[in-house]
Amino acid sequence: MANAKYDIVVVGAGNAGLSAALQSVLAGKKTLLIEQHNLPGGCATSFRRGRFEIEPSLHELCDLGPVDDPGDVRTIMDQYGVKVEWRRIDDCFRVIGKYSDGSPMDVTMPSGVKPFIEKMEEYVPGCRPQVTKLFDLFQEVLDGIAYITASSGHADSNVLKEKYPNMLRTGAYPTKKVFDALKLPQRAQDILATYWSYLGVDMEHLAFIHYAAMVHKYISRSAYIPTYTSHEISNAMVERFRELGGDVWYNCRAEKFLFDGDRCCGVQTNLGTIECDYALANINADILYGRMIPKELIPERQKKLSTARKQKYGARMITAYFCLDKTAEELGIKDYSIFLPGTADSATEYKNIMNGMATNDYSIFLCYNVANPKASPEGTCICSFTTFGSPADWNDLKPEEYVKFKTGVAKKFLASIKEKAGIDLSGHIEEVSVASPWTFSRYLGTPEGSVYGHETTDWDSMMARMMMLSADYPVKGLRPIGADGPRGDGYSASYICGQLIAKLALKDLAEGGTK
Amino acid sequence: MALNVKVGLFGPFDMLKFKNMAKTREKTIQAAPANEIVAEYAINRNAKALHPDFLPLVVENIIDHGNACAKTFVFKKADGGALPYFRAGQYLSLKLDLDGSKVSRPYSISSGPKDALEGRIAVSVRANPGGFAADRILSGLKVGDAVTASAPEGNFYYDELRDAKSVLALAGGSGITPFLSMARAIRDGIEDFSLTILFGSRMRETVLFADEFEKITASCPKVKVVHILSDEEAEGYEHGFITAELIRKYAPEGEYSIFLCGPEAMYRFVMPEIEKLGLPRRLVRREMLGVTKNVAAQPGYPADCAGKVFHGTVRQGAAEYAVDVRADEPILVAIERAGIKAPSRCRSGECGWCRSKLVSGEVYCPAENEGRRHSDKVNGYIHPCSTFALSDIVLEVPGEFY
Repeated sequence: MANAKYDIVVVGAGNAGLSAALQSVLAGKKTLLIEQHNLPGGCATSFRRGRFEIEPSLHELCDLGPVDDPGDVRTIMDQYGVKVEWRRIDDCFRVIGKYSDGSPMDVTMPSGVKPFIEKMEEYVPGCRPQVTKLFDLFQEVLDGIAYITASSGHADSNVLKEKYPNMLRTGAYPTKKVFDALKLPQRAQDILATYWSYLGVDMEHLAFIHYAAMVHKYISRSAYIPTYTSHEISNAMVERFRELGGDVWYNCRAEKFLFDGDRCCGVQTNLGTIECDYALANINADILYGRMIPKELIPERQKKLSTARKQKYGARMITAYFCLDKTAEELGIKDYSIFLPGTADSATEYKNIMNGMATNDYSIFLCYNVANPKASPEGTCICSFTTFGSPADWNDLKPEEYVKFKTGVAKKFLASIKEKAGIDLSGHIEEVSVASPWTFSRYLGTPEGSVYGHETTDWDSMMARMMMLSADYPVKGLRPIGADGPRGDGYSASYICGQLIAKLALKDLAEGGTK
Repeated sequence: MALNVKVGLFGPFDMLKFKNMAKTREKTIQAAPANEIVAEYAINRNAKALHPDFLPLVVENIIDHGNACAKTFVFKKADGGALPYFRAGQYLSLKLDLDGSKVSRPYSISSGPKDALEGRIAVSVRANPGGFAADRILSGLKVGDAVTASAPEGNFYYDELRDAKSVLALAGGSGITPFLSMARAIRDGIEDFSLTILFGSRMRETVLFADEFEKITASCPKVKVVHILSDEEAEGYEHGFITAELIRKYAPEGEYSIFLCGPEAMYRFVMPEIEKLGLPRRLVRREMLGVTKNVAAQPGYPADCAGKVFHGTVRQGAAEYAVDVRADEPILVAIERAGIKAPSRCRSGECGWCRSKLVSGEVYCPAENEGRRHSDKVNGYIHPCSTFALSDIVLEVPGEFY
C-alpha cells in the first residue's frame, strides 16, 4: 500500500465530517476525507429498492431557512459553496393522540410564528399571551446561543447578563419547568411537546435552551428537505470538496490513530497508512478514545467523562420505509409528517420506549411526496415510520428472530396509521425495508447504532458542553467531531459542529500545533 | 413590556445556575471514577455477526449433480464458527483469484437459512461453456480450499409485508437455486408462504435438484414444482417455454406474486409474457439479470465503439494503476484483470457496492442495469460492474476489506 501525507485527515464522511473537510480545504489545507462506507453522509444518504430511491433518515432540516432569512445551515452551505435543490415544507406537523386530560388530540400546526400562535389560540383558547411570551423567549435564547457559539467558549458574562438575561435565567432548566414557569396551559404544553422526540430527550430532562433553539427554527423559518434525498446534500458537499482540491477515499476504515509521542500524526487504514498534522474524527468519543488510540494515551479526564456518561447513547432508531404504487392523494395522505404519540406525557413515553417494543406505541409517519413531488416516480409515493429502538429489544435478539421482529414493528406501524388517521397502505406496498439499530450500527458503526451521539442530559447539556470547549479535547492533534459534540445531535448540529471543531483545529495548527 | 421570565423564585440564582453549568459539569466528570472506556456493544456485535465485512470460508463438501453439469459447494467458516443468518433467496459474492484476475461472482445460496445456524452455507455452480469463472470454479475448487465470500446479500426474498401469500416462481436452469433455498425455508418453518415453481430445463436428465425438490414437495404441501422441458417431450412434464398461458394454467388462486430468476435468454423471453398478465408492478419481482453479453446490441450504444480498447487509469487510495479497458466488457472486468481488489457484489448494477467516481471519460450504462442514485448520475458516479467505457477513463474506486 502506498503511503500518503496530508495536512488534515478527516475520518468519517458523516455530516460533521463533510462539514469539517470543507472548512479545512477552504482554509488551504491539503485534506483527505476517508469513509468506511462506500458512500458519503453517514445518516445523510439514500438507498435504492426497485424503481425507488429512499431517504433513510432526514425528516426535515430546521436550520436552513429561506434565502432572505438564512439559518445556520444555509449560511454554512453558502460559505462552502454547496448547492442543493431544497424544498420547503408548508406545515410544521400534525399530531394525532391524546391530551394529558385524556381527550383526543388531532392538531395540525402551520409554519411561521404568527400563524402558529394563532392556531395555538384556536386549539387552546386563551393561551395566546403565554405562547407569545414563549416565542419571545425563544428568540432571546437563539440570539444568546449565537453569541456564545461565536465566542468559542469565551463568552463575556456581562454581555450575557445585559443582553440575554432571560436565557440565563431559563437556560439551566429542563423545558417542562420553563413551561410551568410561563404558566402555559397543559393542553398547550401537550402540543408544544411534540418535537421532543427530534432530540430524543423527554420534556422533564430536555434542556430548555436546546429545545428552544430547535423548535423556534422549525416554526419561524420552516423546515426544508432536499429534492433528491439527503444523499444529494452529501454528494454536493463531496463534489465541492473535490473541486477545492480535497481527496476522498471510500471503503477506507481507520483502524488506529498513530502518534508521535503524545501527538496524533497519522491514521492506519485498510488502504495503508496516512500521515497527517491533524486528524478530525467523525467518531463517537467512546469508540475513538476507548478503541482507537494507544491505551497509555487515553486521558484520565476522558475516562471519567465516559464513566459519568454511563454509555447513555442518544436515540437508536427503527424506521420502516414503504414504497407505494399509488400517489399520496390516492391514499388519502395530506400531511408531510404525522406524529403518533402513545401518550401526551413524554417522560412516560420515554420510559415505555426504553422498555421495548411491547410498550412502545410511539411513531412518526412521513410522506415525502407531500412536500416533494419528485420523491418517487409518477403515480407512486414513499412513506416512512420512525420510532425509537431500545437496547432491551436489540441486545439479545437472535438473528433467526430478527426479520420476524422487524416485520412485527412494521405491522404495528401500519395498524396505527390505519386506526388513527384512516390511512391504509396495505395492498399497495411495492417495496419495503425496515432499518433497525442493527442496521444503523452496520452502516454507521456508532455505539448501539445510535444516531444521536451521547444523550444530552441535565449536567451534560448542549450549553454546558459549549461552555467547556477548551477542556473537552484533551489529545493533541486529534479532535472528535461527531454527534456527541457540543452542539448536540441532528443534521444541523452536526454541520455546525463539524465547522466549529475544524475551526478550532485550524487555530491549533496556526498556533504551531501546540495543542 | 420587557420580557422577564423566572423559573426559580429568584432570578439571580437562576443566572448563577446557568453560569455554573460548566462548573457543575466538570464536578460531575471529576467525581466519576476513571474506568476503562466501554467501546464494545451488544447491538454492534449482533450487527457485525449478521453483516460481516466478508466471510472466510473453507470448502467442506462438494456435491456433483452429474448430468445437470453443476456442483454444490458446501462451505463452513474457516474458523468453524457461526455463519450469518440470511433470508432465503440471497446470494454470496465469491472472491476468487483466477488466472491472475481478482474476480467476484454472485451465486444464490442454495442451502436453507437453518443450515447457516448449523455452520454450513452452500452455493451451486453450473457449467457455463465459454464463460470465465464457472468452469474454472467447477474444475478448480476442491474440498479444503479456502474461499473468501461476501456476507449474504441481495433483496430477492419473500417479504410478507409486500408480497402476496402465494408466490409463483419462474426459474430457468441454475436460476432455480434461490427457490431451493426458499423451499427449504418453507419446509423448515422459517418462511410461511406457498411456492409454486415453474422450472424450465432442457431435458429430464439435466434437471437440477430433481431429487431435492421431490423430497421437499413430498413432505411439504406448500411447495410445488412444475417441470417444463424445452428439448424433450415427456409424460408428467410440460413442454416448451414459460409462456403467459402456462403461467395462467398454474397460477395459484387469488392474488399471487411472480418471482423470476434465470439466464439472460429466459428473461428476454419471459418478461414480455409476464407483461401480458397485466399484473401490478408490485407483484412481479426479478432477481438481477447480470450484464448483457452483447452491449453493442443495446439501445443507444454508439456504433463506432465496438471492438475498441481504451486506456484506463484506476486510483484506489494513494495507489494508481494503468489498465486496458475493452469496449465490450464492463469496466469492472478490466479492473479485476489488472489484479486490483476492488469492491463488487451483484454485478448487475443494482447493489451499488462498486460505486466509483468517474473523474474523466465517457461511459455507457444499459438502461436495464441502471441502479444508480439520482445525484450519483448527476455527479459522475458509476457502477463499474455494469458500465462500459466509450473513451479513455480515469476512475477512483473504493477499497475492500478482505
